[in-house]
Amino acid sequence: MGVVIAVISGKGGVGKTTASANIGLGIAQNDKKCVVVDFDIGQRNLDMILGLENRVVYDLVQVMDKEASLRQALIRSKANPNMFFLAASQTKDKSVLESSKVQKLINNLKKEFDFVILDSPAGIESGYEHTIEFADVAVVVVNPEVSSIRDADRAIGILDSKSQKVKEGHDVGKYLIINRIIPKMVQSGEMLRSEDILDILSIPLIGKVPEDKGVIDASNQGKPIILNKNSGAGQAYQRIANRLCGQDIPIYDIEADEKGLFSKLAGMFH
Amino acid sequence: MFGFLKKKQSASTAKDRLTIAIMSDRRKINAYPFMDEMKAEIVAVIQKYIGVKGVEINNEISGDIEALSIEVQLDK
Repeated sequence: MGVVIAVISGKGGVGKTTASANIGLGIAQNDKKCVVVDFDIGQRNLDMILGLENRVVYDLVQVMDKEASLRQALIRSKANPNMFFLAASQTKDKSVLESSKVQKLINNLKKEFDFVILDSPAGIESGYEHTIEFADVAVVVVNPEVSSIRDADRAIGILDSKSQKVKEGHDVGKYLIINRIIPKMVQSGEMLRSEDILDILSIPLIGKVPEDKGVIDASNQGKPIILNKNSGAGQAYQRIANRLCGQDIPIYDIEADEKGLFSKLAGMFH
Repeated sequence: MFGFLKKKQSASTAKDRLTIAIMSDRRKINAYPFMDEMKAEIVAVIQKYIGVKGVEINNEISGDIEALSIEVQLDK
């Protein structure tokens, strides 16, 4: 049985879909069979990030409503044959989701894949609740910025009360990705440090991702950044995916990278 | 020597503000864990008399006064 990972954030626009796509590919690169599911019903986006928008014929709502089989709806990634994608519906509203149907779909996916990654919609409404309900693990994506961290805390609160695993008396795994870190700003005290964010949210860290202009270029082309071996963000996502696959890789202190003006100046006078 | 380095470090302001905001958020949310159950019971009671579409309960705090506002949406 596969592991179900919900990628959540609370706030929109922090890089949740990018994280889902890259983690999916990173897991596939570990020779694990992986499916990434776009749970943002009504706002299909993951297909673009993965460069699969022209291949979508059936979506997950059609699978849940038995208008299409899972086999018909699953799209194999061009970048890695171990990775598959299931698209969100664009025409329907998120209110179409029902717990029993979601559970059935996820159970079917767990039988076929080692990892099932659910890209959650932003916000903490019903669409979000359906995404987390049957997840084994949640990966929480934040930016080092007050509104993102506050919203993430709300989303974690809902996860703790609505998750099926919690209701059954188990723990739901929670791991934090701090995305879009600008090392120079952290060094000069203008951006929250990872330690501070961990203090506030008190969930374990699974990776730090630097701000990387290549992410926009990657989404322009529909080729996730992880495929670019020279990219800082791509390497960070590969490390995160490897950790999720059970590899013991220490957290890389990206804040110490590319010394900023402050430390350069300080260095000169020491 | 470096006047510009003495600029207030806004990251520590962010941490302080966040810590307080999140503590207050958590308090509000965890104050009444029975909310869902209570909602279901309110629906059941009103349902005896008139169709109900949904019930929203909001916790409003202003100074020392705390109020629960209960909004019942009727099913017509």
